[in-house]
Amino acid sequence: MQAKTTMDHADLIPDLPLEVRVHGRGGQGGVTCAKLIAGLFSQLGLHVQTFGDYGSERAGAPVQAYARIDRAPIRNANKVYRPGHLLVLDEALLGPHILEGVEPGALLLLNTPQPLAHFAGRFDRYRFAVLDATAIAREHGIGSASVVIINTTILGAYARILGLPLKVLDEAYAHLGLASDLPAAEAAFATVEIAEPRETAPAAPTPHAAPPPVMPILQHRADTPASLKTGNWSSQIPAYVESPAPCNHACPAGNDVVGFVQALAKGDSAKAAALLFETQPLPSVCGRVCPAPCMNACNRAAFDGAVNIRSLERLVGDSATATPTREDVLHPQHIAVVGGGPAGLSAAYQLARAGHLATIYEAGPQLGGVLATGIPAFRLPPEMLQRDLERILALGIKARLSTPIRKADLATLTKDHDGVVVAVGFGASKSLGIAGENLGNVEQGLAFLARVKEMPEILSGTVIVVGGGNTAIDCARTALRCGADKVKLVYRRAKKDMPAIAEEIAEAEREGVMVMAHRQPIAIHERGALADVVLAEMEAGPADASGRRRPVVTARTATLTASKILLALGQGNEHDLLPAGWSLRGARAYHGEQALPVYFAGDCAEGEGTVTHAIGSGRKAAAAILTRTHAVVLAKDVALPVAPGQIRFDAFPVAAPHADRLIHPAAFAGDFSETNLGLADAAEASRCFSCGHCTLCDTCLISCPEGVIAQRGGHYRVDPEYCKGCGMCVAECPRAGIEMQEKRV
Amino acid sequence: MSSQLLSANHAAALATTLAARANRKGKGFVSGVYPITPSTECMEYLCNQKIEKGRVVRVESEHSAMGVCIGGAAAGARSFTATSSNGLAYMVENCIAAANLRLPVVMVVANRTLGPPWNIWADQGDALLLRDAGLIQFYCASNQEVFDTVLSAFRLAEDGRVMMPVMVNMEGFILSHNVAPVEIPQQGLVDDFLPLTDIPHRLETVPHTLGQVELPHQNECHRFQHHTAMLAAAAIYDDIRAQFEPIFGRALQGALVPYRCDDAETLIVSMGTMGITAERVVDDMRAAGARVGSLRLRLFRPLPVDAIRAVFAGKKRIAILDRNIGLGLGGVLWSDTRALADPGAVVQNYLTGLGGGDVRPEHIAKIVADIAAREISGAPMLMEAV
Repeated sequence: MQAKTTMDHADLIPDLPLEVRVHGRGGQGGVTCAKLIAGLFSQLGLHVQTFGDYGSERAGAPVQAYARIDRAPIRNANKVYRPGHLLVLDEALLGPHILEGVEPGALLLLNTPQPLAHFAGRFDRYRFAVLDATAIAREHGIGSASVVIINTTILGAYARILGLPLKVLDEAYAHLGLASDLPAAEAAFATVEIAEPRETAPAAPTPHAAPPPVMPILQHRADTPASLKTGNWSSQIPAYVESPAPCNHACPAGNDVVGFVQALAKGDSAKAAALLFETQPLPSVCGRVCPAPCMNACNRAAFDGAVNIRSLERLVGDSATATPTREDVLHPQHIAVVGGGPAGLSAAYQLARAGHLATIYEAGPQLGGVLATGIPAFRLPPEMLQRDLERILALGIKARLSTPIRKADLATLTKDHDGVVVAVGFGASKSLGIAGENLGNVEQGLAFLARVKEMPEILSGTVIVVGGGNTAIDCARTALRCGADKVKLVYRRAKKDMPAIAEEIAEAEREGVMVMAHRQPIAIHERGALADVVLAEMEAGPADASGRRRPVVTARTATLTASKILLALGQGNEHDLLPAGWSLRGARAYHGEQALPVYFAGDCAEGEGTVTHAIGSGRKAAAAILTRTHAVVLAKDVALPVAPGQIRFDAFPVAAPHADRLIHPAAFAGDFSETNLGLADAAEASRCFSCGHCTLCDTCLISCPEGVIAQRGGHYRVDPEYCKGCGMCVAECPRAGIEMQEKRV
Repeated sequence: MSSQLLSANHAAALATTLAARANRKGKGFVSGVYPITPSTECMEYLCNQKIEKGRVVRVESEHSAMGVCIGGAAAGARSFTATSSNGLAYMVENCIAAANLRLPVVMVVANRTLGPPWNIWADQGDALLLRDAGLIQFYCASNQEVFDTVLSAFRLAEDGRVMMPVMVNMEGFILSHNVAPVEIPQQGLVDDFLPLTDIPHRLETVPHTLGQVELPHQNECHRFQHHTAMLAAAAIYDDIRAQFEPIFGRALQGALVPYRCDDAETLIVSMGTMGITAERVVDDMRAAGARVGSLRLRLFRPLPVDAIRAVFAGKKRIAILDRNIGLGLGGVLWSDTRALADPGAVVQNYLTGLGGGDVRPEHIAKIVADIAAREISGAPMLMEAV
């Protein structure tokens, strides 16, 4: 039984029986709010009843709840249609239907951050009260940061409107077990703004009769009434949003990999070429020699093998008939590009496509840099490079060959042009720094490759190649083709640590190259026309600054006799190009504190050492020079790529990758023809998951339990009137092409 | 005794908890539970109660939930479950087993429309699937009634002369989720009211089989024993009512709730919450001079035939309201009771509130006006309640 003091206040409640209606959103505590109101009146010794109007039971969906209060036992089992008190917990719900059945003079309590004056004229016929319950409840830490529960706060304002003394509220909260929320209720009690009704104001018109009319008996419609608009059950709705595919995210050149592969899958090779040409001036080259970070990142690698993207790119490069196009600009800029390697070519290509004038200054007699001189013909036939170069030059780029640029020239170039891109590549090749390195039969690998490309030479006996990168592999395979009896490749770390492309290492071994891992030459001795190479075994030593364990020389040695020793240890990055008073900040040159329109790109700036990095770097330099910014950040560098866990593997049949067609000549000597013929057709493209990119596969449409997804004009449309926000389409999408988004009210 | 604001779901669970604890010195308590809207809150509440000698087992289906109750009762424990709609439909086979095995399982059903298409709101058609299966059926109209009926259902089910399942019905949401004050007794009073569960045929030290093969004549005898026990249950329920009031200090509602019937010419007959609304309408119409009364059936199986006939006697017009439809015939309450009216009386069936439609006083007033204009009984009529 309640305390007598509270009982007395029942007299303060006028106009019983009273019906209360609460409008809120699922999760906001609307049903509990009505229950608390009933609890408050029950404390006053009155009969109460309260219930929710249940439908969707989903967070964020509109919810109604009711309470009845009377001095006599309540004999009603139906909903409330003519509330004397109306509480609206979310201002966004304040549509015309909210006022259905609410008579002039009724109480309307609104949770809103707006002051009373904001609503002037709108609710004048009602007893209208406003309160920022959300702010008060948040301040008092009721609920969580994202879901603030306001019902206990609202009740404080409601008690004030009823004219109950604060003491009654205190007692009620103690009895209802809400003592911890009392401070918020007291704040609401103190701050609620109340306006009395004005008799003269017009009542707001309501669109429907309330309560709905009683139907004539047995005159029900032959057809069923209009369906339930389930769209208002949800607070979320699916959205078709592109997410970065891991291949795109990984490509240093910035290629739209998933775009061109999907175009191939749909049989649109012209679109595939057009997409590649956006970022890729050298598809025939990269389609052969790229280490393909895209394939390492490919989500299909975790399923049944990465998509053979490199060879698909080659297919596009080799077969494209269309050419990249050039835009027209009103005031073309004139840019000098120093260096005709991949970075310089890429920069010139992007500048020319954008309608500007680019002149390449190349020190050597031909364009292509290391592509022309350092990659053997059996891996990159010269006519393939030539095809890519012709496509680039067709954009109107001028090339001044055999024109080295020195320090003094750089200042002049800068003066004579609107901007300069410096892309001179790596510096000198690294050496071993051991005794005997200057003997006649010791040679740098890159020099050897360039010489052999000009004029094949005859080797015999054993050739030792030192290094583990692609140049080392190229040297080894070239030596075989020059007639070497045996080729041994010496590498100081484990075979799995070799930076060369794995397929290339496998090919070299198949051709007979012997890989000697954990070995390093420590001395070379002359032995007539031959040389003795002392090889020490290596062990993993302590970790270096990068965390990698440095190999250290042991005392265990062996001596090999070789006719030739080729060094492929990488190249340094020392350049002496900057005139006096110039400095580099990031990739941009400065004269004192003055920023110059001179940007460095490719290996001389980044030293990544791959064609694809050089292409990406050249493109960014071109963009930076046109916008005069310091660095260009691409959107794909920021967003996270689609992870394997987001792909529904069970939606895809297991299908092994289409492998490249490899040729294994019986004898290599003198045969420099290409050994990898790539793919026969584009069938491999259909293995692409199309991560994060909708393919209009209709899985969402088929999976929708409500049948409210339709495809029209190459897009899906979700009917917001009926989508319940169940998320089935998102769960079923094979490729993470859809996500649930919060609905905006 | 204390008054608490409780939903009917929670009231049912609290009554069950008190009954479960009252058996702590006996064979304890067992409940198999599986959630389904709108009865889920009942089981949630029960799962959170402390019961000294009892186990609430969460299983993978309603069929298994009743299986747990059968096992518990067969071992001699007090047992309980709750369900709704298609969950009850899935439970039906084991409900029949519990009934035929004469196990005193108490179950609460929050009545909900059978799907598909899916509708989560009130319709008594789910419980009426088991109309003829040998379970006692009550239909309630208020939170207090749910509490009191569940409590006394254990006493009735476990009475040695009855010994069969008792189903306590409440309309989904309209009652299951309605929150109102409920008088809750102290544990000691419940201990006084409920004797320790004693199931004489429980599986114990002497090995025997429950539900073995039986021959036609054996089956005939078992069925008739069950039928006879069920017919006797109404009188036993009245005995229980007589003991309920002195212990708890309030009356336990009877099998029938007649309201201003004695001099009525027109009778509104219903089960569940529509009966409460009908009483309001009776008051309003009486004030306007109409001789109207209401009869609410709380006990539907066994059907209190004689008591109903006594109330129907002398009534010229009887409007029978059904929140259910026996497809191919009409309302189930109407089809079971229409023959009990005086010859020549107009007995008209109104199907209303199907699928959870909101039945307001205006609907019932319209029904009374409709029957007042009738000279003869017609086919069951549908009344839409939006």
